[in-house]
Amino acid sequence: MIDGLVRILVFQGIGEVIAKFAVPLVPGPVMGLVLLLAYLAWRGGVPDGVELVSAAFMRYLGVLFVPAAVGVVLFWPHLQRQALAIAIALVGSVVATVAVAALAAKLLSRSGSDAP
Amino acid sequence: MRPDLPAIHEIWVYLSGSPLLALILTLAAYQIGVVIYERTQLNPLANPVLIAVTLITLALAALDMPYATYFEGAQFVHFLLGTATVSLAVPIYKGLPSLRGRLLPLSAALLGGGATSIVSAVLLARLFGADETIVGGLYAKSLTAPIAMGVAERIDASPTLTAVFTVSTGILGAALGRFVLDAVRCREWWQRGFAIGVAAHGIGTSRAFSVHPEAGAYAGLAMGLHGVIGAIVIPWAVSTLR
Repeated sequence: MIDGLVRILVFQGIGEVIAKFAVPLVPGPVMGLVLLLAYLAWRGGVPDGVELVSAAFMRYLGVLFVPAAVGVVLFWPHLQRQALAIAIALVGSVVATVAVAALAAKLLSRSGSDAP
Repeated sequence: MRPDLPAIHEIWVYLSGSPLLALILTLAAYQIGVVIYERTQLNPLANPVLIAVTLITLALAALDMPYATYFEGAQFVHFLLGTATVSLAVPIYKGLPSLRGRLLPLSAALLGGGATSIVSAVLLARLFGADETIVGGLYAKSLTAPIAMGVAERIDASPTLTAVFTVSTGILGAALGRFVLDAVRCREWWQRGFAIGVAAHGIGTSRAFSVHPEAGAYAGLAMGLHGVIGAIVIPWAVSTLR
């Protein structure tokens, strides 16, 4: 498991450095993700250690953003004042997004997915 | 005053100065959230993050502990967000073969859904009078939370608001998605799953997995691809349009 963690941390480190000095607009960890993806594709499989660490992170992903989300207490008055606008934006947007994504997939697969 | 202080006070002073208290609070609250979530047969409204945030907020108010003090301890959990983001490469890599033969409909769903997510949220929020702090938090809300928060930092938006809007979006998408999919008569599991994954990232994905394995697999793939493409396109688009 440690070997997997080391590999993932190394990719994160390289990603952070590239993001900092070459492409400041892309978050460093995402750069690390892309590099790890390229590595996995080049290697043609996922090493056991990496698989193990990744599975653990995916299973408990939620707990990682709790500390930042608790910061909502600082925005409380702000959010209360604009609660209606926020609720409409969140509900309206998620409904529209699901609808557009589903329709796009449905309409485009009808014309071309019969090919093997 | 000092000699009268009871020992428990000293224990408290010691504990609240160490990161241990914030860590225990974070993990215990999340664990309670997970137990409730499992007891309710994975109902998206009983989301473990939502429950944990509510419990911790109440605890901080009861303990009179400022958020900054709490975060100082909880930052050890927070730090792992970046590492978790990198390890998202594994589920994406394993999902890539599912794209075969469906590249066109899935790319269209991803790009169309991603653009719709941002444009509709920003327009609706502005229309109903939300200020720019709030609007900034909406840009990345359909991306998976660890990536969304990284994007928020790049576009000078609040990572906290982004996290809260992201989790809310996930819960709403998981709860409402089925009705929207039925309304547009989308019946294939892979299409339904992918649409939920584009809109409602990880929370939608776990909902999709609980309904059908194929829907879950495609939702996870959509979440990963949306995260990567969103992280590259959103900061660029926002900085160009500003």
